[in-house]
Amino acid sequence: MPHHEFECSTCIPERKSHAVVKGEGEDLTSCLPEGHLLTIPGTISERGCAYCGAKHVIGTPMKDAIHMSHGPVGCTYDTWHTKRYISDNDNFQLKYTYATDMKESHVVFGGGDLLKKNIIEAFKAHPEINRMTVYQTCASALIGDDMEAIARDVLKEMPDKDIFVCNSPGFAGPSQSGGHHKINIAWINEKVGTVEPKIMSDYVINYVGDYNIQGDCEVMCDYFKRMGIQVLSSFTGNGSYDELRSMHRAHLNVLECARSAEYICNELRVKYGIPRLDIDGFGFEPLSDSLMKVARFFGLEDRAQAIIDEETARWKPELDWYKKRLTGVKVCLWPGGSKLWHWANVIHEEMGVEVVSLYTKFGHQGDMEKGVARAQPGTLAIDDPNELEGIEAMDKLKPDVIFTGMRPGEVAKKRRVQYLNAHAYHNGPYKGYEGWVRFARDIYNAAFSPIHQLSGIDISKDPIAIDKGFMTRKMISDVKLTPEEANVEGERPYTGDFDCVTRLRGKVYDPELSRNHEPAAV
Amino acid sequence: MSDEKVNMQMQSTQSVRIAQMEDYIMKHCLWQFHSRSWDRERQNEGVLSKAKQLLCDEEVAKETPEDRCYWVDALSLAEAFRARFSWFAEMDKESIKVLIEKLKERIDYVTISGSLNKELTVARY
Repeated sequence: MPHHEFECSTCIPERKSHAVVKGEGEDLTSCLPEGHLLTIPGTISERGCAYCGAKHVIGTPMKDAIHMSHGPVGCTYDTWHTKRYISDNDNFQLKYTYATDMKESHVVFGGGDLLKKNIIEAFKAHPEINRMTVYQTCASALIGDDMEAIARDVLKEMPDKDIFVCNSPGFAGPSQSGGHHKINIAWINEKVGTVEPKIMSDYVINYVGDYNIQGDCEVMCDYFKRMGIQVLSSFTGNGSYDELRSMHRAHLNVLECARSAEYICNELRVKYGIPRLDIDGFGFEPLSDSLMKVARFFGLEDRAQAIIDEETARWKPELDWYKKRLTGVKVCLWPGGSKLWHWANVIHEEMGVEVVSLYTKFGHQGDMEKGVARAQPGTLAIDDPNELEGIEAMDKLKPDVIFTGMRPGEVAKKRRVQYLNAHAYHNGPYKGYEGWVRFARDIYNAAFSPIHQLSGIDISKDPIAIDKGFMTRKMISDVKLTPEEANVEGERPYTGDFDCVTRLRGKVYDPELSRNHEPAAV
Repeated sequence: MSDEKVNMQMQSTQSVRIAQMEDYIMKHCLWQFHSRSWDRERQNEGVLSKAKQLLCDEEVAKETPEDRCYWVDALSLAEAFRARFSWFAEMDKESIKVLIEKLKERIDYVTISGSLNKELTVARY
C-alpha cells in the first residue's frame, strides 16, 4: 500500500493510513486510504459534525419550511454567509434562521418548554409558512428533551402545521456524513408517503442529492422539464417540504450526490421499487451522457439529443477557449465529499488541468474509491486532513489553485495559493453546460489573476519594474500560446449573463411534452 | 508461430483490452460503486450482462423499471466501447461474450472481492 506519511503528523502515526499516493499501475485493490472513521484525537480536523450534516447540508435547503435548531444559538452559525443554496421563493430558508437559544438553566431544568414556545412563536411570526423541521443538537440530546412529544403537542394546538423532527446531534457520527444518513432515514420513515402528489406527466422523477448551490438544481431541472419530465421533488435543493413527502410516486430516482443521499434512494428502491440512476451533472460529456440515460429510461432520446446539441453548440467554443489556457494548471481537489469524484477526471479531460491531490473531509472509502479510480497516477489522496497536512501538501505540490471550502481556503490564501470555493462556488452555478464554462472562467481568473501575481512582491525589498505596466490575465495566460492557437475563430471567453438562473424561473414548458402517445408506457 | 505463442499473444491482447475497458468504466461510470458488496454484485451483473447482450446484438429485457435502469447504463457503456475501441468491430460475437465475461470478473475483483473498502460488508446501509 503506497501510504503517505506527512512530516507534521509523524507524532500521530495512525494518520499514515489516511493518505496514499496513486502510483503508476495502482488500482483500488492496492491503493485506498482509510475513511469515515472517528477523527484521531490530537489532529485538528476540518470536518463538520453530524448535526451540521443533517441540518445545514440536507435539511435547510428545503425552501418552504422554518428550520429550527433546538440548542445554543452558536449551532446556527452556518447560514447565508457560508451557505449558498438559493431558492425560487426569495431564499426564505437562507434569510431566516432559528435557534431556541438554549442556556445553562435549560440544561439543568430541561428545554422542552423553551422548544414549544419557540416553535409556536416562529409559526406565528411567519403565518404563510406551515412546515417546520426541528433539529436536535448535542446539548438537547444530552439532556434528553423529547422533541417528538413536544412537536405532537404543538400540532394539537396548530393542526394545519406539520413538523419534522431530526435526531442527529453533533456527536452522532464521525462527521457530517453521519447526519446525512440520519436525516435520509428519518425523512423516508417519517414523511415519505404522507402526501399524494398531483402527477402532471407520464415521466416522473425525483432529482436527489443536489442542493441548488447557486442554482445547480434549477439548471438541471430545466433540462428535465424541457424533455417533458416532471420533477416530483428535488432532494433537497430548492425542494418543497410537501413535494418531498410524495417521493414515493416517482418512476425514477436520479441521484447526483451519492454520499449524502444514496440512503434515501436505496430505501425508495426497497420500499417502493423505484430504481436508482446515478448521474454526473458536471462536465459536457458526463452531463450529456446523464441526460441521455434519463431520457432513454422514458423513451425520450430525441428530446435529450436536441438539448445536448443546442447547449454544446452554444457553450463548447467557450469551454475550448479556457481549456487551451488552463492546460497544465495544477490544482488540488479538496472538497467535502462527492465533488472529488464528480470532478477528478472530467476537469482533466475537459479543461486540461492537472489534479495533483484529492482530499475528502467526510467521504467514506467508497468516495475515495471513485476519486482514486478517476485520478491520474501520482495524485496524493488524503482522508480527513488536518490543517498542517494541508499546508505541507501545498508546500510540496505547489498547486496553482485549490478547490475547497472557505475555511481551509483562507489558509491557502495566506500561503499565496489561490482558492476556489468548491462547496458554495465563486460564480456558480457550475452544473449544466453554461455552468461548466463558468467554473472554467473561475479557475482561469484564479490561476491568472494579476493581483495574485502582484501579491508575491514584497515592496520593502523586492525590485519593482517601473518601466512596464501591469500584466492582464490574458497577457499572462497567452504567453504559452502561438497567435494561431490563441485566436481560433469562434472560440471566446464566457459571454453569458451575470445571473443565469433567475430567467429559468418564469419559463413555461409545453404541457404536450409530458404526455406519452406511445401505446406501451414505461 | 507455435500454439503456445499464439495463445500467449491472445491472452496479452485480451488483457490489454480488458484494461482499456476497465479504465473507461472507472473514469466515466458510477453504477459499479454502490455501497455494499451485495449491491455491487447486483449492479455489475445487471449492467454488464445487458452490455454483453447489446454488444452481441441480442434482445435485452427492459420491461421492468429495474431492468430498464440497468439497460440505460448498459447502452451508454456499449456505445462508448464501440466508439472508443475500434477492435470491437473486428470481433465475432463469441469472442465478445468471452471478453465481457472476463471484464466482469475483473470489475467484480476490483470493486468487490479485491476491494479494500471495509464498508462493503457492513450489514446495513
